[in-house]
Amino acid sequence: MKMKNIFKSVLFFIGFLPSFLNAQSIEKNRLVLGLKYYNDNNLMQHLVVQAKSKIDGKFQKIENISVKVFINNEQDKKNLIGIGTTTARGELIVLVTPKAKTEWIKSATQNFIAVSATTKEFDEATGSTTITKAKLKIDTLEGKMVHAKLLVLSDTIWKPMPGVEMVLAVKRIGGNLNINETATYVTDTAGNINAEFKRDSLPGDSKGNLVLVANVIDNDVYGNLTAESTVPWGAKLIYMTNYNHRSLFARRGHSPYWLEFLAYGIILAVWVVIIYLLIQIKHIVKLGLD
Amino acid sequence: MDKLKENQIIEDLLPQKFGKLGKIWVASLMGVCALGAYAYGRQLYYGLEVTSMRDYVSWGIYISNFVFFVAISLVGSLITAVLRLTNVKWSTPLTRIAEIIAVSAITFASLIIIVDMGRPERFYNLFIHGRLQSPIIWDVIVITTYFFISLLLLYFPLLPDLKIMIGYKERNRRWLHQFYVFLGAHWKDKPAQFKITHKAINILAISIIPVAFSIHTVTSWLFATTYRPGWDSTNFGAYFISGAFLVGAGGVVVAMYVFRKHYKLQKYITYDHFDRMGKVLVMLALLYLYFNINEFLVPAFKMKKSEEEHLLGLFTGEFAPLFWFAIFTAMFIPIMILLFPKGRRPFPAFIAGLLVVVGSWFKRYLIVTPTLLHPFLPMHDVPASYHHYFPSWEEWSIALASLAGALLVITFFARIFPIIPIHETILETESHENEKHF
Repeated sequence: MKMKNIFKSVLFFIGFLPSFLNAQSIEKNRLVLGLKYYNDNNLMQHLVVQAKSKIDGKFQKIENISVKVFINNEQDKKNLIGIGTTTARGELIVLVTPKAKTEWIKSATQNFIAVSATTKEFDEATGSTTITKAKLKIDTLEGKMVHAKLLVLSDTIWKPMPGVEMVLAVKRIGGNLNINETATYVTDTAGNINAEFKRDSLPGDSKGNLVLVANVIDNDVYGNLTAESTVPWGAKLIYMTNYNHRSLFARRGHSPYWLEFLAYGIILAVWVVIIYLLIQIKHIVKLGLD
Repeated sequence: MDKLKENQIIEDLLPQKFGKLGKIWVASLMGVCALGAYAYGRQLYYGLEVTSMRDYVSWGIYISNFVFFVAISLVGSLITAVLRLTNVKWSTPLTRIAEIIAVSAITFASLIIIVDMGRPERFYNLFIHGRLQSPIIWDVIVITTYFFISLLLLYFPLLPDLKIMIGYKERNRRWLHQFYVFLGAHWKDKPAQFKITHKAINILAISIIPVAFSIHTVTSWLFATTYRPGWDSTNFGAYFISGAFLVGAGGVVVAMYVFRKHYKLQKYITYDHFDRMGKVLVMLALLYLYFNINEFLVPAFKMKKSEEEHLLGLFTGEFAPLFWFAIFTAMFIPIMILLFPKGRRPFPAFIAGLLVVVGSWFKRYLIVTPTLLHPFLPMHDVPASYHHYFPSWEEWSIALASLAGALLVITFFARIFPIIPIHETILETESHENEKHF
């Protein structure tokens, strides 16, 4: 009786084993799609999709995820503004092209939706962001003063927007440097910010040009806005190169004269001796023939 | 000297055909060369990936072998030039042995450098894009120069012997006889010819010394012009040259014994030669020991942080067994053997010479590789294989094939040409007899 029960249990376990294993194998991690809006110099708008998933207790960037990005409504194929695959950094950049114009001009507020395709590891995921159209302007005033203005679209009118935090900086290689000791500014009631540029000795390009930048970063309503302006406030960069100088560390054909004199002198001296000896062999041959 | 005695010397010193043992020896060397050629074929096909060289150790046993070959080639200048210029007569039977060791070693030094290149078909770029400021270019120039000078130093004293060999037409195969005729038919034993040859040999003996010193100093500068622990030394040129003289002399002692025994040259390579070469070897081993003490004791006394890991790795760490093996076999044991007159007999001297050669090969390996495993910046996020270096079978095969190739060149040379200068031996015997007579 006891043996019969054990046999039954084993049969029962074997019968359910495939479905148990199958249930194990189809368990997938949840994919999270983040979507950020960027407006660069009021000329180019683009979106960045970020794919990530919590694996081994921490979020990791997920590459090779196919993503479709829509404007306002993901159900309508006409609203598709871009398709792509995430890079090794888990990112996909999609430009808001003139194709989206019909939807873009409909409203001051826009909704963007990103939808990922189902893969072996992840189910379909959706991410979205809603922004209100805004534009950022940057200009200069007398006495190295920087002026920035934020305007927001309200129905069909651009209105100044107070109380928005932004950064005023100057572009450098690898990042931006604040124009003075203040890290961030907030727009006043007229949507303006005025700040003094205090980086006097900063090297610019060959003409002394620097690029000023006004940045609204990761704003919940307006996204990421950037405005740039070139000003001749930097020190002129005089490009110094020793590429053509003769030195021990220079390129080929640019060794110091003393080294060339020494090396070629030694080589010449030794090879003159070798050639002389070869001529002596010729003399020996001649003497033998005589 | 009577004709009978002269004929006896010629008969004794003329090249001999390979016996059974000689054939086995040649076949073995050719087998090793064939294996090396196969391994090199694999390296050409798959790339340097077949070696154990990686990002850190980019100079493995190929470069160690190169340094070894350059070192042993220096013997040509020691025996031929230094001893000739100092009017040392006893070295006459050894000059040709030393010169052929020099020529074959320098040939394989050049070849092993090409083997070390991942893309040998791009070798010409070294000449097109080479910088005069680089010690690598200096090395290329000086090796080429040394090769030609050594070849000339081998050829000039050979001329009178060629005439003798042409006279023994019936002993040689037709092609070999034609080869002798091509090389030396113009030699007629004329006084003017002797005068030119004598002058040429003296010029070569003088000019080979600075070139030989340059070749090994420049090779040392390949390392010493960097900041790396173990290489960043002002002592390196002299350290390399002293080591080169030692291994070269060791190589000559080994060759002396082998030729003496195999070709039955006991009358010409005597106990006295082993005795004198043994003394030279002791002196050179002591000199090299002195430079080793300088090279290791001074940095070990200061124990700079960057040097510490490298030095401890040699003294007590990963490389300690090999390091102490090299120090003892290349210096201490040969000194202990050769200090005593009994140790300077042919067989013990041969053993001492062999130890010097083997120990010196490993010494070159220890100069090249451990430094590369101790870079200034810590090794992070690299595969485990990057932390250690042990040559792959392809590297071993190629390195051994290059050594076998050098030995084959010497073997074939000794088969074709007299390994002891016949004409000079006759002259010296004659002058010795005249001295006795008067």
